[in-house]
Amino acid sequence: MADTPNIRIEVSDGASIPHPGDKGLVTAWSIAFFGALALLVFLITVMADPFWDILQFVADGLIITFQVTIFAIMLSLPIGLLTGLGRLSTNKKINLLASTYVEVIRGIPLMAQLFFLYYGMGKIFGVGGVPAAVIAMSVCYGAYMGEVFRAGISAISHGQTEAARSLGFSARQTMRLVILPQAMRTILPPVGNEFIAMLKDTSLVSVLALSDLLRRGTEYAGQYFNYFEVFALVSLIYLIITLILSKLVSIMEARLNYYDRR
Amino acid sequence: MLKKMLLLAVMLLVSAQPSLAAGKTLRVAHDATWPPMEYLDANKQLVGYSVDYIDAIAKETGITVEHRNVAWAGIFAELGAGRTDVIASSVTITKDRMNAMDFSEPYYTVQQAVVTRKDAEFKTVDDLKGKRLGAQISTTGFFAGRALNRDIKSYDAVGYAMEDLKNGNLDAVLCDDPVAADFALQGGSNADQLKIAFVITDAETEHYGFAVRKGDKETLEILNRGIKAVQEKGIEAELIKKWIGK
Repeated sequence: MADTPNIRIEVSDGASIPHPGDKGLVTAWSIAFFGALALLVFLITVMADPFWDILQFVADGLIITFQVTIFAIMLSLPIGLLTGLGRLSTNKKINLLASTYVEVIRGIPLMAQLFFLYYGMGKIFGVGGVPAAVIAMSVCYGAYMGEVFRAGISAISHGQTEAARSLGFSARQTMRLVILPQAMRTILPPVGNEFIAMLKDTSLVSVLALSDLLRRGTEYAGQYFNYFEVFALVSLIYLIITLILSKLVSIMEARLNYYDRR
Repeated sequence: MLKKMLLLAVMLLVSAQPSLAAGKTLRVAHDATWPPMEYLDANKQLVGYSVDYIDAIAKETGITVEHRNVAWAGIFAELGAGRTDVIASSVTITKDRMNAMDFSEPYYTVQQAVVTRKDAEFKTVDDLKGKRLGAQISTTGFFAGRALNRDIKSYDAVGYAMEDLKNGNLDAVLCDDPVAADFALQGGSNADQLKIAFVITDAETEHYGFAVRKGDKETLEILNRGIKAVQEKGIEAELIKKWIGK
């Protein structure tokens, strides 16, 4: 594995991953996480009125938020992988198809895609709220992830391919057994980052009247007019979840790069 | 002579009263997604019953008004933050709302209507239990629906709920009766597919009021004086005829 490139693909739309090598960021993560957690506990215990009440009202919104995120992750991963491979394909048609998909989807805001799929195409597909949200998010993030996969795969030295081919591996075997396993190390952290971005972007599905965390918060605020308290609490919950996820990504990254640290 | 002078002074004072308010500019927020009460016409102009009503009040009291289109989800926060002085957007006077803001005298009365697809057969409130309901977020239709079904879906604008109803994702939409009439009975694809199943008549009648910041007595006084004049001069009746047609 001497040829493994030591690059890190930075994507800026998720929360920052607290790499162990970046002491400042690790400290920042701790401050943000424990600060947010302490604040949340303080609010729902000491200032139970209205915070505990709000928390109880919005809690079931978290289920929808996670539901959409998890299904969208499962669907966008294969889409992303296929798109990344398609973008690197020497087959002109496949390459063009994948590139056009990325180009079109990345040029349309997710919000507009959600409106189009749900309200615009509702007559034709008649898909319910959660499936529509999952499809729109997977199609959108599949395109983003396609670029991550492409970057990760093309970062593997061409010598690896040549070596594998000269040992008698087919093109397919080379990709599956030699290139992809190595690429995973560079791909996984930015993909994890995309997951975090995705979780945050599920807040957009509230425009489909899905009762996610943000929509539940808006409903509560719309009745009792305590916007400050509601959106402070909702923001805190999102923050705590994304910080937990970014920590998980950094732990996963550290494990993947275990041998590099020696 | 003294009597005459006194009379003149009194008359001057009386006639000067409107000009106390005159020159004052009120910023009025409407969520223009609620036809025929407040909406955007083909020329992107804010029009509707409440828009004309506010203009009539302005004329009667000598103030100037500045109409603004503000999304419903943020309209109450906009008032609280001081970026608007009056909400004239079909706001029903409710207890919860009175805790957060002050209301003018009522300027229109509505009931909740239930809009369904043409083929549905809902006759009473009981028929709606367990059904897929939708309404515009934080409207009285939404609160009425949530009492029937905790999982009622809340939309940013009632038009989206109607679209979802047509697409088969909802069984019924609850909203104020003049709005229901506008969506369900006006021409186009809505009228072909939707109908007003029934109007909830056994609930308390709802009164629209203009909302002002809590404690803003000055604005409230101008509005109430204007409403009184608009009602007494028969302008209100004309506006109802013009926009709601009954």
